[in-house]
Amino acid sequence: MSDDRAPRWRRYLGLVRRNVPADVDDELSFHIQSRVERNLALGMSPHEARRDAIARFGDVALVRSALVRHDEREQAAERRAEYVADFAQDLRIGWRAPRRTPAFTITAALTLALGIGANTAIFSVLDAVVLQPLPYAHPDRLVTLGRGSSGEYLALRDRLRTISDLAEWDATTDPVDDGRDALRMTGVAVTPNLLPLLGARPMLGRGFTPNDGAVGGGHVLLLSYVTWRREFGGARDVVGRTVRLEGLPYAIIGVMPPTFRYPDAGVQYWMPYVIDTRNTGLRWGVGGKTFVGRLAPNATLAQARREVRTAWPSLRTANPLWDPGPEYGRFATVTPLKADLVAASAPLLWMLFGATVLVLLIACVNVANLLLARATARERELAVRAALGGGRGRLVRQLVTEGLLLSALGAAVGVALAGVTVRALAGTVPAALPRGNMISVRGTALLFALAVTVATGIVFSVVPAIRATGVAARSSGSMLGRRGWGSRSHARVSGWLVGGEIALAVVLVAAALLLVRSFDALRSIAPGFDPAHVVAARISAPAATYAPGSARLASFYTDVLDRTRAMPGVESAALVNQLSLAEPVWAQAIRVEGQFENVKHTLPMVDHFQTVTPGYFAAMGIPVLRGRPFTDDDRAGQPLVAVVSQSVARRFWPNGDAIGRRIGYPFDSPWITVVGVVPDTKQDSLRDTSTTSIYMPWAQRTNMVSTELWLVTRTRVEPGSAGAAIRRIVHEIDRGVPVSDVRTMDDVVSRSVVGARFTAALVAVFALVALALGAVGIFGMMSYVVTERRHEMGLRMALGASANGIVKLIMGRALRLVAIGTVAGLACAIVAMQPLSHWLYGVSPTDPVTLAGVAILFGSVALLASYLPARRAARASPAAVMRNAAVGSGP
Amino acid sequence: MPTARDPGDLLQGTLRILILKSLLLGRAHGYAISRWIEDTTGDVLRIEEGSLYPALRRLQDRGLVTSEWGLSENNRRARYYTITRAGRAVLRTEASIWLEYSHAVTRVLRAEPSLA
Repeated sequence: MSDDRAPRWRRYLGLVRRNVPADVDDELSFHIQSRVERNLALGMSPHEARRDAIARFGDVALVRSALVRHDEREQAAERRAEYVADFAQDLRIGWRAPRRTPAFTITAALTLALGIGANTAIFSVLDAVVLQPLPYAHPDRLVTLGRGSSGEYLALRDRLRTISDLAEWDATTDPVDDGRDALRMTGVAVTPNLLPLLGARPMLGRGFTPNDGAVGGGHVLLLSYVTWRREFGGARDVVGRTVRLEGLPYAIIGVMPPTFRYPDAGVQYWMPYVIDTRNTGLRWGVGGKTFVGRLAPNATLAQARREVRTAWPSLRTANPLWDPGPEYGRFATVTPLKADLVAASAPLLWMLFGATVLVLLIACVNVANLLLARATARERELAVRAALGGGRGRLVRQLVTEGLLLSALGAAVGVALAGVTVRALAGTVPAALPRGNMISVRGTALLFALAVTVATGIVFSVVPAIRATGVAARSSGSMLGRRGWGSRSHARVSGWLVGGEIALAVVLVAAALLLVRSFDALRSIAPGFDPAHVVAARISAPAATYAPGSARLASFYTDVLDRTRAMPGVESAALVNQLSLAEPVWAQAIRVEGQFENVKHTLPMVDHFQTVTPGYFAAMGIPVLRGRPFTDDDRAGQPLVAVVSQSVARRFWPNGDAIGRRIGYPFDSPWITVVGVVPDTKQDSLRDTSTTSIYMPWAQRTNMVSTELWLVTRTRVEPGSAGAAIRRIVHEIDRGVPVSDVRTMDDVVSRSVVGARFTAALVAVFALVALALGAVGIFGMMSYVVTERRHEMGLRMALGASANGIVKLIMGRALRLVAIGTVAGLACAIVAMQPLSHWLYGVSPTDPVTLAGVAILFGSVALLASYLPARRAARASPAAVMRNAAVGSGP
Repeated sequence: MPTARDPGDLLQGTLRILILKSLLLGRAHGYAISRWIEDTTGDVLRIEEGSLYPALRRLQDRGLVTSEWGLSENNRRARYYTITRAGRAVLRTEASIWLEYSHAVTRVLRAEPSLA
C-alpha cells in the first residue's frame, strides 16, 4: 500500500507477498463482526443482530469481488514499479562497483570488446553479403539456370512455362575511348529485358528497348553511377554523348542509380546483347552466357527445376553443329539467384562467423572467471545483503545487472573496433565478396551487437552470480566465519570454466594451424611455369581499328613484340590470348583423328585451350619435353600445328608418341598436327586438377573474336620500369590501345591464392586472441588458487615440502586442467574440421602433426601461465602465511 | 433525501465528503467511519455500508487517503485509513462548494411564499 514516497524499508515488508482475497475478507468481516457485536450490545438476538448487520452492509459478494479485482490490479502495478526501482538501484550499485576496481573492469571490458567486436565485424559482412535480400524487385522470385549458348537461351526462353521471363548476359571487357585516354572498362552485355526483369530503371536517360537487342541495333550503353561520376564528372548532359568501344561509336543513353549493381559492383557499363540470328556458329557454338529468369507467378522452384530438367535435354537434337551427347542437359537445374551469387562466399563467412563465436565464448568464460574470483572478494558484501533480507533472486539480479553493464562497456569499444575492422575487411576482399562495397556496421548488425551484448552479459554473469549468492546465503548465518568449503568449490567451478575455455581455444588454434599449413602447401605448388622475372600486361587493341584476323592486327602485335624484344634486359617476349591464373582459360571440345572424328558424336573436352605466339614457352619458362615449340614459320597458310600438354598426350595416345598425331576443331575443318609436348601447367588455380591443355599458334587461329592479348616478357630489368616501358611502347604505336593489368607473374600467382591467405590470416588472428585469452584464463585461475590455498601451502612447507615441490604441485594442477581441456578440444576439433576440409589443401583435417603441435603448444602455455603463480606460492614464507591465515585476513 | 439505493453524482460527492471529514479526527477503519457518519447525522443519512469500501479505494487511488493494517481496540486485525494533505485540500474545496450549494437551496426554500 506504499506510495512512491514511502521509505524503502517498507518494501521489504512486501517480501512475503500479500494475499489479496484474504486481506479483503479480513477487512469486510471485521466490519460486519463489529456491527454484529454492537447490535448484540444493543440487545438484539444473535440472529437479528447478524441479519441487521448484513442488511446495512448491502451486497457483500459484489463489494468483495470489486475490492479483490481492484487490489490485485494495484498489486501488479506495484510489483512493476518495484522491479523498475530495483533495476535502477542495481544500475547505481553496478556503476559504482567497476569504478572501485578499474583494473578488473578494463581487463573484462577489453576481453569482451574483442569478442563482441570480432562477432559484430564478421556478422556485418555476413549480413550484407549473405543474409540481406538482393536489392532487386521481388528478389526471392529471381533464379538462374546456369550457363549456356544463345541458341539454348532462345529455345529455353520460348519453351519454359514456369519461368515468366528469361534474360541472358555475358561479360565483356572492351577498350573504351572517351576522347581523352584509352581505357579498358569492364561491362556486361545483357538482353534488353534483363534490367526490367530485375526491376531496375536508369536514374538518367532511358533503358534498353527490344530494338537495341535486335540485329543492327545495340550501339548504345548505360553507365554505372560510379563510372559516370569518375569518368564523366557526373555531367547531366552525358546522355546523348558518344564514346568509342572497340573503336566503334556507342551512344550513352542513360546512367543507372548508385544502388544498382549486377552482376557485381565491378561492372562499369551495360550494353545490349545482340543475338545474331543469322550466325548459327555463334549462336550454338559459344557458351558461357548466364541465364537469369523470374519464376512465373504461380510456379514454385521445384516445378521450375522439373521443367528445366526435361526441357534442357530435349534441346540435344536442336543443336545444328554437333551432338552434345546423351548426358547433355541432364544436370541442368534452377538456383535462386541469391544462393548462386553468394555460393562462393557464404560457407567461408559462416566459418569465420563460427570462429568469432568461439572467440566470444572464450571471452565470456574468461570474464566469468574474473567475476568468480571477484565474487570471493565480495562474499561479505553479498552475505550482509542476504542477511538484510535481499532474496537470492534479488542478489543474482544485481550481479547480472553488473554483468550487463560490463558487457555494454565492452560492446561500446567492440562496435567501434568492428567499424574499423569492417572497413579494412571490405577493402581486402572485394573480389571474393559479391556485394563487397555495401558493407558497414549498421542496421541489422547493430541490432545483432545489442543482442550479443545482452546475451553475453547474461551468459558470463549467471554462473558466478548463482555460485556467489549460494555461498553468501550459506555463510550469511555465520558472517564472521572464514571462507570454508565454498571457496574450494569456487576453484572447482573456475577449473571447469578454464578447462572449457582451453577446449574452445584448441578448436580455433587447430583450425588456424590447419589453414596456415594449407596455405603454405598451396603456395609451394609449382605452377608448371617459372613466374620469376616475368612481367605480364594486357593489351586491348580495339576491334574496329584492328579487325579480328586482319593483317593490320597482326602487324600491330608484331610491332609490339619486336619493340619489346629490342628493350635492354628482355630475354624473350610472347603473346597469349588468356593468361594462366589471371583469368579463366577456356575449355574446348576437339576431334581426335582415329578416335573421335564424327562431329555428330560426343567429343572429348580439353580443359584449357590457349593461343600463343612463338617464344611463349621460353618466356613462361615452360620446357618443351618432346618435339619442337612454335616458330615464325607456323603462320597462316602453312600446315596447322599444335603443342599439347603431357596429360593430353597420355589421354589420347597412351601407347605411342603424340608427335605427328592429328586433332581438330569440333566442326568440319582441316586437321591440326601435334608438333610438341610440354608439361602440364596450372591454368585456373594452383589447386587446379584439370591438366589437359592444348596450345595453338596465334597466327593460325582464324576464328578468333577477341583482339585482346596478354604480353608476357621475361626480363632481367626491375618489373616496375619494365611495365612502364611496355606501356610506352604500345602507346608509341597507337595511343588508342589501352594497356592494363601490368603485373609480374609472381604477383599473378599470389593473387590467385589471396582468398586462402585471407582466410588463414583471419582465423589465425582469432586463434591468437583465443590463445592469449586462454593463457590469461589459466594465469588468473592459478593465481586465485594459489591465493586461496596459501595456508595449505604454508602448512605443506612447514611440514617439509620443498619450494620445488610446491611449484610442481601448482604447475601439475594447471597442466592437468589444460590436458583435459586440450583432449576435449581436440575431440571437438576433429568433428568441427570435417566441414572445413573444403578449405584445406595438402593436409588432412585430422593431421596428427598439427594436432600434436596444438597439444604441445597448449601444454607450454599452461606451464608458462602457471609458473609465476607457482613461484609466488613457493616463495611465501610458511610462518607468515600461517600467521595470516590464523588472523583470517582476506586477500 | 438521498438514499443508498440512489448512487448518483450527488451521492458520490456526498460520500467522499463524509469519509474525508470523518478522517479529520484521525485514522479510522471502515466500521468506525460508518459509525461516525451514523452518529453525526443522527442516522438520517443512511448509507449502505458496503459502498464505503469501493469509495475508500477510489480515494486511495487518487492519493487522498492512505491505508495500513493495524490492531483494533479489541485486538483484531483491521485496516486503518488516514487522510493525506491532498485529501484535506480536496475536502476544503468540496465542502465550500457544498455549503454554498446548500445555502442557495435553503434560501430558495425559505423564500416567499412559504411552504408552511
